[in-house]
Amino acid sequence: MNIRAVAVLFALMALLLLGAAQAQDDIVIDFYFPSATANDAEGIFQRYADMFEEQNAGISVNPVFTGSYTDTRNTILTELQGGGAGPDVAVMLSIDLYSFAEEGYIVPAQQFIDAMDMGDAYINDFFPALLANGADEAGNVWSIPFQRSTPILYYNADLLAEAGFDAPPSNNAELVEIAQALTTEDRDGLLVPVAGGFPIWMYQSFAIAYGQNIVGDDPTEVYFNSPEAVAAVEFLRSLGTDLGVGPAGGAAWGDTPTAFLAGQAAMIYHTTGNLTRILSGADFEVGVWYLPSGPAGEDGTGYGSPTGGGNLYIFDDGSKSQAELEAIWSWVQFLSSPEIQADWGATTGYIAANATAWETEPLASLAMQYPQYGVARDQLQFAAKEFSSYATITIQGIINGTLESILTGEAEDAQAAMDAAQAQIDSILAEYQ
Amino acid sequence: MRISPPRKPLLLSLQPYLLIAPTLLLVLMFNVLPAIRTVNDSLYKPARGLNAAGKPPEFVGFDNFRDIFDPAHYMGARFTRSFRNTIVFALATVGIGVPLGLMLALMLQHPQPLLGLWRFAVFYPALLPLIGAASIWSFIYSDSIGLANAVLKSFGHPGVNWLGDRNLVLMSVIIINIWKQAGYFMIFFLAGLQNIPRDIYEAAALDGAGARQQLTLLTLPLLRRTLLFVIVVAFTFAFQTVEQLQALGEGGPADSANLLLYLIFENISERRNWGYVNAMTLVLIGVVLTFTLSNFLLFEREESDR
Repeated sequence: MNIRAVAVLFALMALLLLGAAQAQDDIVIDFYFPSATANDAEGIFQRYADMFEEQNAGISVNPVFTGSYTDTRNTILTELQGGGAGPDVAVMLSIDLYSFAEEGYIVPAQQFIDAMDMGDAYINDFFPALLANGADEAGNVWSIPFQRSTPILYYNADLLAEAGFDAPPSNNAELVEIAQALTTEDRDGLLVPVAGGFPIWMYQSFAIAYGQNIVGDDPTEVYFNSPEAVAAVEFLRSLGTDLGVGPAGGAAWGDTPTAFLAGQAAMIYHTTGNLTRILSGADFEVGVWYLPSGPAGEDGTGYGSPTGGGNLYIFDDGSKSQAELEAIWSWVQFLSSPEIQADWGATTGYIAANATAWETEPLASLAMQYPQYGVARDQLQFAAKEFSSYATITIQGIINGTLESILTGEAEDAQAAMDAAQAQIDSILAEYQ
Repeated sequence: MRISPPRKPLLLSLQPYLLIAPTLLLVLMFNVLPAIRTVNDSLYKPARGLNAAGKPPEFVGFDNFRDIFDPAHYMGARFTRSFRNTIVFALATVGIGVPLGLMLALMLQHPQPLLGLWRFAVFYPALLPLIGAASIWSFIYSDSIGLANAVLKSFGHPGVNWLGDRNLVLMSVIIINIWKQAGYFMIFFLAGLQNIPRDIYEAAALDGAGARQQLTLLTLPLLRRTLLFVIVVAFTFAFQTVEQLQALGEGGPADSANLLLYLIFENISERRNWGYVNAMTLVLIGVVLTFTLSNFLLFEREESDR
């Protein structure tokens, strides 16, 4: 027998053994997760999986890192459209709901919540704003909040104090006033990261502050050419032109926190997901505050930021057994439990999604030490649904392209560009009405 | 009486076919069949709306092609722009990259001090993975902290928004590709130059031909085959290499730097757009074929004219 034959034989035996080992575990949960932060997500999820397996004999979890949010969504869609098995549970953007629901790939979490003894207590512990994107227009919960974030205002408190401002801006007028006072030759007063492919998220916070979110509960409706939506983008554009407090066309996503930490920007809009990194990287006092309110009102109605981040989705095309589904649900419940949310929030800076997590260690003492973490949580009372509709990917592409052409000055007449976009969007959504 | 040649055993006569069978099978499976499917699927619109997964697609003839060339259509608006960008990108990377590669080869063909170092320095970008190179450049191009603007500012220029200005971003992407490919093309030209016998130049020099005449009358005509090869490869590259966009703002703002293949990639995940994706793929293949064939024909004709 030559060496090659021996090697083949060994490989076959190894495969057989692997199969046998696999068969001893009753249920294996394939869990796909993206990472949008520089943290060691693989290591953390492996730790969670080990904890879970210890508590749940007979179930094992197989965490699979699948790249960025976009990569994760595309990987799963490609697998399922090609007839593959796909994951059992995945973390995907909360706005991916309709992309998967309209294809029939996922099942609502509602049925599992209804079957729980303390189902109401479980779901009501989540912040309501974080449930908005996970539920359909009838109020059925499909996906469970996991790694959530919102945009928030970061300001260099030292610079503001030097210029005589003892409080962060609470409305757009103060925002502009402070930003102009702090703009110098080599420092921007305010950076809003709307350049680089994804302006819709930051833009939405202005649209909400102007009084019209571009999306409501009905996934067949988009309000992109309303007067408020137009006024919001015109204000956003003016920051880089007439008001001159930042670069024309807006700042790039990744450059914005770097410029802030380097002292080249006095205030920035950015995700709470970067809070930990910014707090630990700054050599000045970092202030964090709600996104300033807009013309919609100073009584709280004019505040408003969209939510963002990822939810837990349950995949089933109807072929999974009751036992498998129960195992899958227990993994989802585990990840969304206050203990894990407190740990995950403290490690990454994502907003722990349920109220109890904020009273749980290690998050409780961290929030005590750094009140900035609490600001992100408290802003949730003003937060609104992130953009999501049927045909989300295509429609989001239309909106992003239109915003970019307005912000870069290519489309001077914002109203006309948004009317044209709205007509394209309506023609797509007509197929769902 | 004629003697028929001895009959080969069956297996022996089948042997050549058996030998190419694995390759043929792979080509059929991964090239021919998908190509046929692409043509077929470009004539259909996938099922759309709720619970579309199980529903059959709808035959629409050439509607997909009409839509992608209609600038008022949501896909047409993006396609027409990316189509124009792709042509500009191809002409610029080939039109500048190939002459630059040739120039570098001419400069670095003769023995000189530090020759190896110079050649390596010029060839080095070709060794980097494109996505890695693009990531490095995305830092260089960065608005507030980038090297490019730091250099501009040191000369008193306020700096430009390399990846954010819709009028500059395509140029920024083209610069990277030229930087990356010129050294690669140089290697082919260097090899081509080695094949030209020295004595021709010596004879030309004796006849009084100057350096410029030697270049235009000797070097370029004798490099013709290398040139054809490099130009064809360069055009193919231009249409196929799009992964740099992933690191450079994904073709934005508003598709100002988007390229066809990347647009196709961006739209593949949503079922509703599959008809468009197939139609766009066919248009892209048509463009690449046109460029490649016209290159061949151009050079062939000149060859036969001689």
